[in-house]
Amino acid sequence: MVEQLIANLRGFIPEVSLAVTFCVALVAGLIVKKHQQEFISVLALVGTLIAGVFVLIYADQSQTLFSGMIVADPFATYFKVVITLCSIIIILFSQYSSEVQQTVKRMGEYYALLVAMTLGMFLMVGATNLLMMVLAIELTSLTSYILSGYTKEATDSSEASLKYIIYGALSTGLMLYGISILFGLTGATDMFGVNQALAAGPVNAIALLIASILIIAGFGYKISAVPFHFWTPDVYEGAPVTITAFLSVASKAAGFAVMIRFFKVCFIDSNVVGLPAGMWASLQGFEWNNLVAILAVLTMTLGNLVAVWQDNMKRLLAYSSIAHAGYMLMGVVVLSDKGVAAVLIYFAVYLFMNLGAFYCVMLVANKLGSEHIDSYKGLGHRAPLLSTAMVVFFISLAGLPPTAGFIGKLYLFAALLDAQWVWLAVIGALNSVVSLYYYVRVVRNMFLRDPEGSAEPVALPVAQVVILLALVIPTLVLGLYFGPLVDFANASVVMFGLP
Amino acid sequence: MDLFTIIFYAFALLALGAGSVVVFSKNIVHAAFALLFAFFAVAGLYVLLMADFLAITQLLIYVGGILVLVIFGVMLTNTVISVDVKTGTVQSMPAVLLSAALAGMLVGMFWSTDWKVTTQQTLPEATGNELGTMLLTSYVLPFEIASVVLLVALVGAAMIARREKKA
Repeated sequence: MVEQLIANLRGFIPEVSLAVTFCVALVAGLIVKKHQQEFISVLALVGTLIAGVFVLIYADQSQTLFSGMIVADPFATYFKVVITLCSIIIILFSQYSSEVQQTVKRMGEYYALLVAMTLGMFLMVGATNLLMMVLAIELTSLTSYILSGYTKEATDSSEASLKYIIYGALSTGLMLYGISILFGLTGATDMFGVNQALAAGPVNAIALLIASILIIAGFGYKISAVPFHFWTPDVYEGAPVTITAFLSVASKAAGFAVMIRFFKVCFIDSNVVGLPAGMWASLQGFEWNNLVAILAVLTMTLGNLVAVWQDNMKRLLAYSSIAHAGYMLMGVVVLSDKGVAAVLIYFAVYLFMNLGAFYCVMLVANKLGSEHIDSYKGLGHRAPLLSTAMVVFFISLAGLPPTAGFIGKLYLFAALLDAQWVWLAVIGALNSVVSLYYYVRVVRNMFLRDPEGSAEPVALPVAQVVILLALVIPTLVLGLYFGPLVDFANASVVMFGLP
Repeated sequence: MDLFTIIFYAFALLALGAGSVVVFSKNIVHAAFALLFAFFAVAGLYVLLMADFLAITQLLIYVGGILVLVIFGVMLTNTVISVDVKTGTVQSMPAVLLSAALAGMLVGMFWSTDWKVTTQQTLPEATGNELGTMLLTSYVLPFEIASVVLLVALVGAAMIARREKKA
């Protein structure tokens, strides 16, 4: 047993390096002098990079670790790559965020908690035991509560943190209750065990339905799906921009990964024959995907319709990210490998465009001290490069060619039509049209309005321009040359223990 | 009704009763003391389930440790004792309807479901040994990750509570 555990550590090196980085960063925060706090960010960056390298080195493995607690498989690897990229970009962002840099004293904790959050997400994407899943979600949530309240001098930051904790505690409670019902029905906390117990004989359908709804509440909270989204706008507005960007991409990615794995592993019926290749069926006619379809429609519609009325850029992007969660939920509904692959592709694309949009908002806030949409008036003339980049990100978020966002949407809708979910595809397409309105509203303010007040040019340091370009270029390139990404995503739909 | 069942219901009632005092009491000291009984009753339920180690842990850590700390915290904080907890109720009618519907649904579900019942008839003598082995073998990963979660919580609490000099 002990030998086996030690052997398991080999597949667990990325997580171990993150855990070590977390501890080292905490200690370093206490030792390093105040004016040398950049050292900790370098430390966090190196630690995350090492974890990323190990993820890539062990990319081809597919095995279960620590007596079935978590797995390391292509599906988890893909999400780990996305999450690692996101953390690296966020650590770089943090160097240039005036909000974060003001709080020199707590820098060590900031980076340490960022790394701990990455660790929680790594565990989320691999968890195959309900106990492990809850712990991983809790680790991610706890770190996000703390980090949203990081700039505690700002009242809205503390408010964000408090609201986040209250909603988070409620949804965790609901999810645990649902899991306890599921355990009562199946007698297993292992997802494969749950699947076997459900496949062995029919259980009370109503109890199963209630359990699933309660568990979806937990996932829905993490991916900010309607009606579990109430925290999102306030937290996104109050938290430091870097954390908002991190929550909107990485946290959501981990939430989707754990949700897809939970539903697929627990409720797949592997005995159904005659399905087209790449499709799967759910057990005993338990159509959990209909629940997700309702969630998807509500999420994208509400997200888009409310975003239209927002004047604060962070709130606007918050509702836009709710809408994007809705689009991605459509990929989960179809019960096919194509749908999952579409979600994976969408996440890679979403990573660049959404982080890019938040980065632009952060740079503007650094310079102008405002996140209000009116302060963007005439920005096109004052900061041409920044504004152009922002236009690229917004076009991509709206899903228009030739940007990466178009490719993401294309694969999603293709998967939907392939599985004959036409009505859902229509609603998704209509939503994209609505979203165009509020994205263009910002673009119009930047280019077609005269600046209010100061009209001086806004200059950016070289390093910030480099990061900006590092986000713009993939957004454009992935819109034109997306073959490798699609291949990677298609190869990554394989989950351990499933055909 | 045998003795076992009677004791079970006694503890369950105590847990529920004390729990509702925690939720509904406007005086935070009363709530803290009621929590003591709720934890104690849960420890009793663990004993009935033959989970001896868990019951002792519950008593030692929750009743003996955490709760005493909570009560000390409450009593030493003047402002907490003298101020009534702000509780306001809005939209009580829809809330009552929704809760009643939910409660009805859940009770109905618990009544009508065939729960998975273990067929194992022999109960273990003592669970401590087995629990310890499992925590360090099959459940070693959750065990270790729980420590990371606690460390994060500690760091976060310290960070939020620390007083900062105005720059």
